[in-house]
Amino acid sequence: MIEFASTFIVSAIQILLMLLATPLVCGIIRKTKARLQNRRGATIFQPYLDLSKLMRKEVIIPSTSSWIFRITPYVVLASMLLIALLVPTIFAPVPFHWMGDIITIIYLFAAARFFLALGGLDAGSAFGGLGSSREMSIASIVEPAMMLAVFTTAVTAGSTDLSIIVNRLSTTQASIIHPSHVLAFAGLFIVTIAETGRLPVDNPGTHLELTMIHEAMILEYSGRYLAFLELASQMKLLIFLSLLANMFAPVGMAIDTAPLSLIVGVAAFILKVAILAIVVALVETANAKLRLFRVPELLMVAFVLSLLALILYSIIGS
Amino acid sequence: MKQKYIQLLRTTWGNIFTEEITPVANELYLTLESGALSKLPEICSVLVKALKAHFVMLLANDERELHGKFFIYYVFSMTADNLFLILRVPVDAREREVPSITASLDSATWFEREVQDWFGIVPFPNIGKLAVHPDWPEDVYPMVKEFDLKRSVRRVKGSFDFKHVAGEGVFEIPVGPVHAGVIEPGHFRFSVAGEPIVNLDVQLFYAHKGTEKIAEGMNPHRAVFLAERISGDSSFSHAVAFCHAIERTQQIEIPQRALVIRTALLELERISNHIGDIGGVLLDVGFSIAASRAFYLKEKFMHLNEILTGSRLLRGMAAIGGVRRHIEDTLAKREAMQETLKDGQEAFEELVDLLMSSSTVLDRLESTGVLAHKDAYRLGIIGIAGRASGIDRDLRRDHPHCAYPYLKFHSVLCNEGDVFARVNVRIDEVRESFRLLEQLRRQHVDEPIKATLQSPAPDRCALGYFEGWRGEIVHWVMIGKDGNIFRWKITDPSFHNWRGLKLAVRHNIVPDFPVINKSFNLSYSGNDR
Repeated sequence: MIEFASTFIVSAIQILLMLLATPLVCGIIRKTKARLQNRRGATIFQPYLDLSKLMRKEVIIPSTSSWIFRITPYVVLASMLLIALLVPTIFAPVPFHWMGDIITIIYLFAAARFFLALGGLDAGSAFGGLGSSREMSIASIVEPAMMLAVFTTAVTAGSTDLSIIVNRLSTTQASIIHPSHVLAFAGLFIVTIAETGRLPVDNPGTHLELTMIHEAMILEYSGRYLAFLELASQMKLLIFLSLLANMFAPVGMAIDTAPLSLIVGVAAFILKVAILAIVVALVETANAKLRLFRVPELLMVAFVLSLLALILYSIIGS
Repeated sequence: MKQKYIQLLRTTWGNIFTEEITPVANELYLTLESGALSKLPEICSVLVKALKAHFVMLLANDERELHGKFFIYYVFSMTADNLFLILRVPVDAREREVPSITASLDSATWFEREVQDWFGIVPFPNIGKLAVHPDWPEDVYPMVKEFDLKRSVRRVKGSFDFKHVAGEGVFEIPVGPVHAGVIEPGHFRFSVAGEPIVNLDVQLFYAHKGTEKIAEGMNPHRAVFLAERISGDSSFSHAVAFCHAIERTQQIEIPQRALVIRTALLELERISNHIGDIGGVLLDVGFSIAASRAFYLKEKFMHLNEILTGSRLLRGMAAIGGVRRHIEDTLAKREAMQETLKDGQEAFEELVDLLMSSSTVLDRLESTGVLAHKDAYRLGIIGIAGRASGIDRDLRRDHPHCAYPYLKFHSVLCNEGDVFARVNVRIDEVRESFRLLEQLRRQHVDEPIKATLQSPAPDRCALGYFEGWRGEIVHWVMIGKDGNIFRWKITDPSFHNWRGLKLAVRHNIVPDFPVINKSFNLSYSGNDR
């Protein structure tokens, strides 16, 4: 019973933290980019205000759309919330680790993407179709690269269970700087950029419908549906950043619910994610958007990096 | 020199031309006999092919109250002799038909279609509507004299007739006329096979303001303000082109100082627009750090415009006979000019370095949106887009006025015809503009800046032209018996170049369209007037 209660508390804290931190990460990236462009930029809390504004706005549903259009925002957001429970954030033993491992996460991402693409098509506008087709063709290369990167760490830890991966890494100090991890980290970072629709793959700040990928799929959404989708895509970014931070550097994670370790855990998490967010902003600023047909080449780099990591691990061993 | 061309034409076709007397030194008006109408396509073809004439524009004029006929003016530029040869072709008021010259001169296509839509003069073979939308009734022609501006026209049912591409996997993407961002209205219809664009159709004339019609009967001095509003980004160029036309009809001698001020402002307009365009291209490829630098720099020059003239768009400066105000009459203005030019030049070179050192940017720009030289030549593409495709034409050099005859500068030329070439032409032109402004730096505030004007002589017509930042702007004005405007024809370079854009995007992928479009940066307002 106590076991259950503590799991409940831990997962409640985790989901609340993820929900609250999500718009902040987005705000940090936007602010960093603005400063780098000599602009003052909006406050880092602007995404909260945007979301609350969207929640209050009227929802307009295209007359040509079906139920798919309406359930998509819920499916996508629910998938992200579920994943948020499965990734390591502040607690080393991930609250719901018995429920699903890395493979579950990958499939949940796929499910969300599937519905998002359907939702884009369902509205019947030309841009939605354009975005969906681009998203799916990029996904077909992103997913293998992502699996390979994630499996490299799974192989080093001997399990696909994220709790075990994180625990192994935090207890065996040497493996933090294992060369294969560096390569896998680089691979997963590129995947993060592609998966979350950042430059140089997709431009989240563009107004040009013809160049959009993710934004084109959600072009017909408005009001709270749009808020859900925005929140989901922002959360996806946070999930990836958490994976990057904690799979490769699980420093400072809480192993119990004692107040001190909780505080340290939260602080370490926020610090790591903020650093990664700034790195993402730097990458976005330093690069122009790639020509669409060059994106597969970039993702091949991620794939090869992960593959090399795996080979390196099997040669050097732990 | 005029006699040379008259002789040349008469030896080939006999005495079918009558020379119209004009006081304008470099304009030769030749009226074709009504009986020789069928020879028109052949004459135009020979002019272009054998005599290396450049087709500038054609325009119709409702001269029924003067001569009982319509006339169409075919304007050619003879670059070698700094001469404009204008064929004046009579059109019967009842039949309203004229042979089309597009078989040998593709660049005249849109002009002929516009004449058909606005005057009801049908070039045969006949092609579809261009300048009026399908809901405009068939038999209403807005530019004929009896069309009353106050009249409301009842719209009819009609739908756009786009070119459809059939085939497996070919889809149509409609974009516009309302776009995201602050962009003028225009409807684009892409036919795509996957990502590659198979065909692009453009429906324009949403921004038609009837400028040419409104101006009829207007005092030329008032029309200067209208000219400033033809295309906002070329306010001063259009105003100067219009003033130039009026000045030529009246043989007005412009004070030297006014010519210098005009030249300086025209180059400032070029600099701020070119830098803005470079920023736009960088923004469209997502290289925001360089883009924001470019916009910052553009803003600096817009601000300088405001300090010098009181208007960021250089409005209210042009006047018939000169300019309205001095631009360097106070120390503050001179300092602002000097500082902005010095800092601007440095910042611009830094921006160019940043652009050239980014491999991802170069990868996006090179070989994107290629407009081949032969296509550019066939379509009569001019200005920056033309010079990026190896069309060596620059009115500042070929038909110079203002202070250009005394100034040293190069006309920039590239041959690749891609987005990168169009950016490069802009970069080098900005450098040339800086050089030009250096040469103009001297202050004589006591000199006159405006000629003293007589009451206008009636019944005169002339061209006014200038190489604006986008390309050559050509106006043609006819002053009526009352000294007011009888007919004003405006040709913005966009009107030539839209067809080039349509061709340049073919076989490119859809997400590259915005950057190709930006590299042309055509004006909707100037095109639609």
